[in-house]
Amino acid sequence: MATEFEGKIKSTPEMSPKEIEEMRSTMESVSRKVIAENIERMKKTWPNRPKTMQYFDEISNFFGKRLEEIRAQKEADKKIIGYSCMFAPIELILAADAIPVRIDSGWYDAAKLGDTIVAVEVCPVIRSTIGTQMVNLSPYLELSDAIIISLTCDGRTKLSEILRDDKTVWTMCPPRMKDSPHSRKLWVEEVKAIKEKIEDLTGTEITRKRLRSAIELTQRASKAFRRFQKIRKGNPVIMGRDAMLVNQTSMWDDIKRWTQKTEELCDELKNRIAQKKWACPPDTPRVMVTGTPMIWPDSWKIPNLIEEANPQGVLVVDELCSGDRLLYDPVGVDEWTMSDMMDAVAERYLLASTCPCFTSEHGNDDRINWLLDRIKEYRVDGVIYYVLRGCILYAMEYARIKRILESIDVPVYYLDTEYTREDVGQMKTRVEAFLEMLETRVAL
Amino acid sequence: MTEIIIEILRLTIIVGIIFAGILVILIWINDQTKKISYLRLFIQIVSVPVIFLGLIIGPFGLPQFPPVGNAPRDAVVGTNIFGAPFPDGLSVPVLACYYPSGRTVTCPIWQIQAYIFPFWNTGLGFGWGVYYTTHGLERLAIVFGLVIVMAIVLGRFFCGWICPFGLYMDLMTRLRKTFKKRYWKLSEGVNTGLRQLRYVIIAAFLILSFVFGSQAIIGLQLVPGTQSGEYVYDYFSAPFCQVCPMKPLCVLVESASGFMDPASVFSQNTGLLYEAGYYVTSLNVAVLALVTIGAFAFRRFWCRICPLGGLISLFNRFPPFKWFSVVRLNKIEEKCTKCGICKRVCPPQVTEVYEEKGGDVTSSGCILCFRCVEMCPYEGCLEIRVAGKPIYKSRNWLEGLE
Repeated sequence: MATEFEGKIKSTPEMSPKEIEEMRSTMESVSRKVIAENIERMKKTWPNRPKTMQYFDEISNFFGKRLEEIRAQKEADKKIIGYSCMFAPIELILAADAIPVRIDSGWYDAAKLGDTIVAVEVCPVIRSTIGTQMVNLSPYLELSDAIIISLTCDGRTKLSEILRDDKTVWTMCPPRMKDSPHSRKLWVEEVKAIKEKIEDLTGTEITRKRLRSAIELTQRASKAFRRFQKIRKGNPVIMGRDAMLVNQTSMWDDIKRWTQKTEELCDELKNRIAQKKWACPPDTPRVMVTGTPMIWPDSWKIPNLIEEANPQGVLVVDELCSGDRLLYDPVGVDEWTMSDMMDAVAERYLLASTCPCFTSEHGNDDRINWLLDRIKEYRVDGVIYYVLRGCILYAMEYARIKRILESIDVPVYYLDTEYTREDVGQMKTRVEAFLEMLETRVAL
Repeated sequence: MTEIIIEILRLTIIVGIIFAGILVILIWINDQTKKISYLRLFIQIVSVPVIFLGLIIGPFGLPQFPPVGNAPRDAVVGTNIFGAPFPDGLSVPVLACYYPSGRTVTCPIWQIQAYIFPFWNTGLGFGWGVYYTTHGLERLAIVFGLVIVMAIVLGRFFCGWICPFGLYMDLMTRLRKTFKKRYWKLSEGVNTGLRQLRYVIIAAFLILSFVFGSQAIIGLQLVPGTQSGEYVYDYFSAPFCQVCPMKPLCVLVESASGFMDPASVFSQNTGLLYEAGYYVTSLNVAVLALVTIGAFAFRRFWCRICPLGGLISLFNRFPPFKWFSVVRLNKIEEKCTKCGICKRVCPPQVTEVYEEKGGDVTSSGCILCFRCVEMCPYEGCLEIRVAGKPIYKSRNWLEGLE
């Protein structure tokens, strides 16, 4: 860029602090309401929720207990590192004694604000993240000392430029093909570069010992996460929304405490299985969602519809980078040397990912395998293919996945929506029609 | 001077044996055998004294037919297979050298070369006082028969779990780990190249054996000095064995255990290539040194080029043998997310398990060490099948974390 413009002209328009504060407080109060309302709705559908769920409810509040904790830790000179996408190696952040928080936005109001900067064709997650940045709606984004953005899709690539106006942004470029040896090399180098940046920011050297204990920390989290997912394989002992909430809180909670609480929740659910106390009738149609991430709190729109619909459906499993994919894949270390640990961390994020931004000679077969396996393992009755308008990658992959699922006689429903509350009525009709069809199939 | 060196060697071996014994007991007591890596180490260590049983149980001496003593090993060493006396011992596809006399089993690579070349005919074998009542061709048929049967039944399971040289390399890896040093990787091209080179090596030593033994086989001397009793003749009795890295180790074990006179081993000087002694050539020592350093840097370095492994693969991984093969590694495509762990943890850097679609993924470089199955985090994705029945499956190993 010509020097006369450099650092002077931003993507976002200048706003007065007063204006920003006004918009922020309005949005915050709406958001608080939505969070409380969502939890209320979850309680209503499932009155005897486990006691441990209370903890996750608390953590799910963006403006509550967890925020205070993070603020206190920031004051105690800890660094906060935000990340978008699940390609950021949180093990490295944890090893440097910093706090990882995911900053992908699920606020509908912020997306409307984002509309003023970028066209509505752009993915609403991106627009919403821009909106939250403009008015500092997301406290985690605001507190972040640096933000790691993986250039997975076009939206995120350009998002990094817009966020860079006000924030320190580090980008990581994952290759679009995972299979070739040089793309693996590129990614390992990217991870190494990020490691150095994290070290520079935090002033903490990521030593072998530190990285090992960070990996062991996330391995334990994965262990709890997998245990939790396994419980959902049987009759519905937990509603899908509650499970999704548990999964999502891992994106910003203290990972050690999250692991412990999830284990507690699992114990409680195990008891319920022994007593055959199901969350909903065992013959409720078992639904799987796949597609674009559903991010707390506003994107609870669809899960709410599915589990409150008449006939009711229950989400047993998903294939979302905001859900089952979060901690499912562990970092598998062969030898606890620095180089092998770095390889293991890098490969866990690149190779195990089923993001549609990848392709190979055989198509994105990792994702198809994941879907087929989950459908079998979780006895899925029907799949809801959730696409936010603007997400080309998921939308285009639908063509093949639809045909594959049809060939194994699993109904799949393409549900495209926006970051808006206005289409709830229409969505409701569509979801209920699908669930009715599933119900008849299950009854047969 | 040499005596001091010999004493040091002897002490090293004794300490090594004691250390291995303690390790075996510790693994057993702590019930680490549940973990497949430890179970493997356990079996590898236990296999060593079984293979070299003759060093422990007397009488010491060259294997003879008929057997000279009443020792248990005689039943195995001077054995009788299908009515044919087989004084050199059972052919088992592990690098258990022919050269030390205390072994219970014999490396088929030596036998193949030897029966082609100096022992072609019946009669007194070269230098050993062993009398062969069967023709070389019959003996070759028995060796190949045994190797093929074992290759079909267990395949390269021998490489991963029994071969003493494999243990030696695994110990090098463990030594490296204690220094917290990283391992190196061969590039995929080089690795594949080495794998193919195994068959060139097999072809080379077979041809060499034939050329040097032409006097005995076709009655035409192709190389001067290759008559019975002549120097070159003695020397090339088994061309590959003069390069093999295992021979010095076997001789070392034998010397240290007291059967072989170490002084004579290290003092005999019978020519340029024999300088290290009568049994061990300088080439042997050089290759061993190279492979030792190699094994320190690369995991299972020798396995990538081992002609014995190539021979087993030949009778295990390719049709028609493939169809009858018993121990196989299987992958269920649906459960695989291509996380790459199997590829990264594989000691001989086999890529087929990762790259191939589901089904039988046993490849010719795979030593069946089960490491990939142990480290695969997806339940039931990789499995070891014995005659089609899964006996060991990948599982969610996170559950084992405390």
